[in-house]
Amino acid sequence: MFSRLAYTLRETLAGFQRNVTLTVAAIITAAISLLIFGLTLLIQDGFDNLLARWEGGVEMIVFVNANTAPDGLQLIQDTLDDQVGTTIDSYSYCDVECSLADADRVLAGDPTTRELLGPDNIPTLFKIVPNEATDVQFLRGLKESYLTLPSVNTVTLAEEQLDLISKLQGFVSVYTTGLWIALMFASGLLIWNTIRTAMFARRREIEVMKLVGATDWFIRVPFMLEGLIQGLLGGALAVVTLQFINWRWTLGVEDFPDSSGMTALVVVDGYQWTVALYILAFGALVGMVGSGIAASRFLDV
Amino acid sequence: MIRLENVTKSYSTDVVALQDASFDIAKGEFVFLVGPSGSGKSTMLRLLNRQERPERGAVWVAGRNIIDMPPGRVPHLRRNIGNIFQDYKLLSNKTVFENVAFAQEVIGKPKHVIRQQVPAVLDLVGLAGKEERFPHQLSGGEQQRVSIARAFVNRPLILIADEPTGNLDPTTGEGIMRLLDRINKTGTTVVMATHDQRIVNTMRKRVIQLDRGVIVRDQARGVYE
Repeated sequence: MFSRLAYTLRETLAGFQRNVTLTVAAIITAAISLLIFGLTLLIQDGFDNLLARWEGGVEMIVFVNANTAPDGLQLIQDTLDDQVGTTIDSYSYCDVECSLADADRVLAGDPTTRELLGPDNIPTLFKIVPNEATDVQFLRGLKESYLTLPSVNTVTLAEEQLDLISKLQGFVSVYTTGLWIALMFASGLLIWNTIRTAMFARRREIEVMKLVGATDWFIRVPFMLEGLIQGLLGGALAVVTLQFINWRWTLGVEDFPDSSGMTALVVVDGYQWTVALYILAFGALVGMVGSGIAASRFLDV
Repeated sequence: MIRLENVTKSYSTDVVALQDASFDIAKGEFVFLVGPSGSGKSTMLRLLNRQERPERGAVWVAGRNIIDMPPGRVPHLRRNIGNIFQDYKLLSNKTVFENVAFAQEVIGKPKHVIRQQVPAVLDLVGLAGKEERFPHQLSGGEQQRVSIARAFVNRPLILIADEPTGNLDPTTGEGIMRLLDRINKTGTTVVMATHDQRIVNTMRKRVIQLDRGVIVRDQARGVYE
């Protein structure tokens, strides 16, 4: 048992020494592929974070008729209170003073219209943050229900913005998922091909081993171990590079202005360490399985 | 030790390597397989260690029909069969000692056994003192001796040799044949495919002659013809 283990380790080490150039090439190739795979996951997570921030800012505005009695306002408020936690996340009431301040800001470039608005005729409003900001149909339904309430003048909903967010989220999740699956497959093929090339160079050795009575697993294991180590080393290299890139990006984004919307395009909750584990596990798995399959190709003696 | 029963092997519909071949080889026999190129000699040797499987017939080795042997048992069969090749098939990155030890390492022999048995077999084949040399530092005859040492180090029941003197000059070839004869005298069955008329005629061992896959002659103490 010990002699077999010693043999396996020695042959694995010898494999590295014999094929230094090929081994280095395999590790670098694996590292690049795995880095792109990791970057894709981090970018996807960053976009999720960004979209979550945008979605959180989507508001529905319920305009109330000017001079509505307190009972009318209370009815709307009661309806909204019932919906908090179910269909809406939160709401706030903007009274006459607040509405005038809003008008000052929004109509700064249109003083004629602004002059038409005063404390007697400006509608007050409720700003509502819905729970599900990406489902346009749901939001339209909600809008219709508010319009049936007495004292409600009109309800505005940024449908175009919502459509855009919905499409962007769909694009990011579908295309980046497709991209990293394709890259996972590509990096797997690259490792497989590198091990296969290394094994082709050693096919005579394998033939001799088979003919003197070595079992397939005895032959396969050193190659699988070699592939596993190559995948792990490539993965480790990718993890170090990925952490560095993520660190630099997170630092750089801090300097962006809040209004740019880019400050949320970062990885949160230590997700980068989960990705690091994925990369190492994937590198090791692909290296081991790829080399095992490649080894089997030469075991038919 | 070896029995072929009505064995037929073909590589395609129009290339029949062996046709209805049958013979028995007893333990300790020395048998030459002769015949022109493409007559089926190598195929016959490859059937004996399960590198090939026939379409029909049975191949018995050491009391077992190896045709139906599960793949997991084939390595154990091969540990009882030593292989010698015309091109030696030595590993160029290993020394003489390592090449021979390799055959024991890969079947899990302990180190102390390897350290004991490899020098003994190298001494047997006349390579004592050349353990640390690499194949490219040896002559053709010496390389073939390493190949024989590797085939014999696990003390197999059968040695199969495919044109072992094919790449050697006549004098060196005679030395290799003396070595194989010596190994045969220890009780090991030797089956050797050859074109070398002089060797067959000198050794006067059993000769099985093949022609286009058919056994046309099986003669004790035969000559090449």
